[in-house]
Amino acid sequence: MKSQIHGLILLISIFAGSFSSAQPKIGVDLGFGFYEPTLTGFDDNSDVPFPTGNILNRNLLINWGVYYEFFSNARVGYNSFASFEIGKLDLVNSKSVFRRTIRYRMFPLETFFRWKPRIELNFTLAPIWGRGRISVDTSPGDKSEDWNQLLNSFGDSDPMSEMGSADAMITDWIGYCGMIGLRYYLSTRIGIDMKMGFMNNSYNNESWRLQKEKVKGPVMKIDEIPVFSIKVVYGLK
Amino acid sequence: MKKIIIILLSLLFLFGQESMEDSPKPCEDSLLKLAKKKGIKAIPIKDILRFRKLMKACEKVGGEKVVDQIVYQDWQRDYRKAKTMASFTSTFSICVFLVMVYYFVGLGLATK
Repeated sequence: MKSQIHGLILLISIFAGSFSSAQPKIGVDLGFGFYEPTLTGFDDNSDVPFPTGNILNRNLLINWGVYYEFFSNARVGYNSFASFEIGKLDLVNSKSVFRRTIRYRMFPLETFFRWKPRIELNFTLAPIWGRGRISVDTSPGDKSEDWNQLLNSFGDSDPMSEMGSADAMITDWIGYCGMIGLRYYLSTRIGIDMKMGFMNNSYNNESWRLQKEKVKGPVMKIDEIPVFSIKVVYGLK
Repeated sequence: MKKIIIILLSLLFLFGQESMEDSPKPCEDSLLKLAKKKGIKAIPIKDILRFRKLMKACEKVGGEKVVDQIVYQDWQRDYRKAKTMASFTSTFSICVFLVMVYYFVGLGLATK
């Protein structure tokens, strides 16, 4: 019994010691990403005139993340790159508000070293859980027709007979990302981080869901695309 | 009721702050000691503003060296800790680098 208590004390002291002496570093970041996907389903759609693509809704990604430095040269975290588009659609029955979101949710493992006191080089590999979302605000009586028109333009054939109150089609996919970055520390807490790399997404336009039914979505080429990011990093602790 | 709470909170905020200039020895404050010992990042977020005021107050009373030393030590601490890669991190970084090279060479060849 005595030895068990000693063992317990030893274990507790090891764990408590490791927690108290280690310097947990939690950081948040906010910035932009840039990439060039080919959104054929929207840009070359002859049946539904989608809003014109521009740099803001095609190439710009809003980026935020949270990191935890679990080792002197490594951190893990969550990072989200999101592309947004909003505009009006001229459908047969109504003029609808159309919203499209493509979100690349990454769970990066990043290793780094300080080349100079203010300069850090970092290397990131991240699995991606991507999600696409398209919503159209139509008038209640014309929902099915409007949605069918939209889905037919993606290559489907009138899949919706009834629509509920929720009106968004969603798809998920997995992928991975690799990046190399350079971080310049303005102070010991704040830094500017620039990264370049690539994303590979296993997106399939036939695996969208609408009202629990499988439907066809827009053709998008988002595999093997280079991606760049610039963000401000703030070390909380 | 709302107004009373807002007024009370405002009064607490206005008069509840301890003036750094009134403090006789700002350079010997426990926050500066903590920053010196464990680094600026060890300071809780809620105390950051107070810490900055303390740094300024310390500089005003002739403690420039103390403040410079805290900042310098913080940089050096971070630099020393992360200037060489340890354990699996070097292998991981090489893997990431190779994956990147493989991808960009492939991209270059594919676009030719």
